Amino acid sequence: MKRGRIQELIAFWCLRMAIVIILAALGSIIWFLGKNGLSILSWEFLTEPPREGMTEGGIFPALVGTCYLVFGAIIWALPLGVLAAIYLTEYTRQGKVIRVIRLGINNLAGVPSVVFGLFGLTFFVIYLGFGVSILSGSLTLAFMILPTIIRASEEAILAVPQTFREASFALGATRWQTIYKVVLPQALPGVLTGSILGIGRAAGETAPIIFTAATFYTPHLPRSIFDPVMALPFHLYVLATEGTHLEKTLPIQYGTALVLLGLVLGINLVAIVWRARLRRKKKW
Amino acid sequence: MGRNNAWAKAGVTLVAIFVMLLCSPSLGLSKGKSITIRGSTTVLPIAQRLAEKYYQLHPEVGISVSGGGSGVGIKALLDGMVDIASASRPMKDKEWKIAETKGIKPHEQVIAKDGIAVIVHPTNPISELTMAQIKDIYAGRMDNWSQLGGPGRKIVVVSRESASGTYECFHKIVMKKEKITPAAILQAANAGVVNTVAQTEGAIGYIGLGYITGKVKALKVNGVYPTSEVVRKETYPISRPLFMYTRGKPQGVVAVFINFVLSPEGQRIAQKEGFVPIRPVK
Repeated sequence: MKRGRIQELIAFWCLRMAIVIILAALGSIIWFLGKNGLSILSWEFLTEPPREGMTEGGIFPALVGTCYLVFGAIIWALPLGVLAAIYLTEYTRQGKVIRVIRLGINNLAGVPSVVFGLFGLTFFVIYLGFGVSILSGSLTLAFMILPTIIRASEEAILAVPQTFREASFALGATRWQTIYKVVLPQALPGVLTGSILGIGRAAGETAPIIFTAATFYTPHLPRSIFDPVMALPFHLYVLATEGTHLEKTLPIQYGTALVLLGLVLGINLVAIVWRARLRRKKKW
Repeated sequence: MGRNNAWAKAGVTLVAIFVMLLCSPSLGLSKGKSITIRGSTTVLPIAQRLAEKYYQLHPEVGISVSGGGSGVGIKALLDGMVDIASASRPMKDKEWKIAETKGIKPHEQVIAKDGIAVIVHPTNPISELTMAQIKDIYAGRMDNWSQLGGPGRKIVVVSRESASGTYECFHKIVMKKEKITPAAILQAANAGVVNTVAQTEGAIGYIGLGYITGKVKALKVNGVYPTSEVVRKETYPISRPLFMYTRGKPQGVVAVFINFVLSPEGQRIAQKEGFVPIRPVK
């Protein structure tokens, strides 16, 4: 009995410590970025292009560029991912072929992002001739986040009770009507979770866009989807490695990191609130 | 019914946002007049400032500047991905051959000159080296500062990767094409070399003149301290021209840009960034 108590205590403290360490890591990152970057944050910083050899001005083109890339990626990946998930869960008999397809998707999720970048470079940029552009970058990012979205959508669809489908069939609905009118609306919150994770990854990744979409400097907003763009994570990377004025741009680097973090948190927050509202309507 | 609405709304919102984004920059699908520049990280600060200024003068022309290294820029030019390749070394025979098989006649334009400064950690008492000594260090024949009259500290050799034009020039002028020691730490950009040397007590590195900062100490080479003055007079031993390459003779907006680079104003920008102008400066 006494031994059990001690084991319990140890286990509990281990669990507590794990959470404390995670929160401390997150907190210190935010505190560190806030301490160094908050002072530069201003309306001008967010709405002006870089000036004076990137040592002054803001990050407007990078901010807009990242938004374009993220929305572009979601536009490609969300429909494709949801359709694939429907096919995998609703339309096929679970068997060997499906297992192989699943294995493929899981492997795709494990591919390092720089490999996606190189694939994007050879396929979209050079072979299809899209050039270094928003189009190439968003397609590359879409491929990268596709597995996340497929997996999340699959799980969401599988979580919809079988009885819902049976009730729908009993009313004479076809398979597609059942999916479209019964299953998908119920699975929406889960699908959103997948998109949230995807958006966070797409906004923060540097490697896939280095070769496919990002540029060191452009003073204006993109004028077509075939234009290269500045992007927040890449901006941070080049300022820290390729820029001439490392010291002078240090506050800008911190500010960029802070904005990137805020952007990802902001997008996530919107989706989380949206998801929570949809969930509240759930009747099961 | 309510749920169907939510689903439809989600889709409509996303599509609407994307359409809005696409439409906002003038219908989004046709590429207007624009200039893309890619290549040497040494030329990057000049190219960036030039682009900044050029955009103020010609806001109707789109412009974007990227780094990556001279080799990357030239490859992109030959692949038709960029309009201008900046380079801190001349094109190699191999690259000229590739251009020929692709039916491209690259046009070479010197835009400024640059010296390669040899830098050490600011606490290093050594302030002068000869070309032969630098060569010995980078070949790995000398590995302790005490061999050069300095403190008993291991030499940490910092070099650039092979896509770098700065590496090519250093390899040719200083090393006379001898191999650099495999123990060297390779950096992808000038700023990376500056950072590493500034943080490592026994380090030695080489960078473009424009990248010298207070964080590192530049050495006299053969008795000459690297400044733009001595590079212009060609008395500093490690100097090189900087190039911009175009596919064929520059035309249209690209020609306007190249002319701007060579104009007194463009040359003043190069000078301000620590490089040596080749034409009169305003």
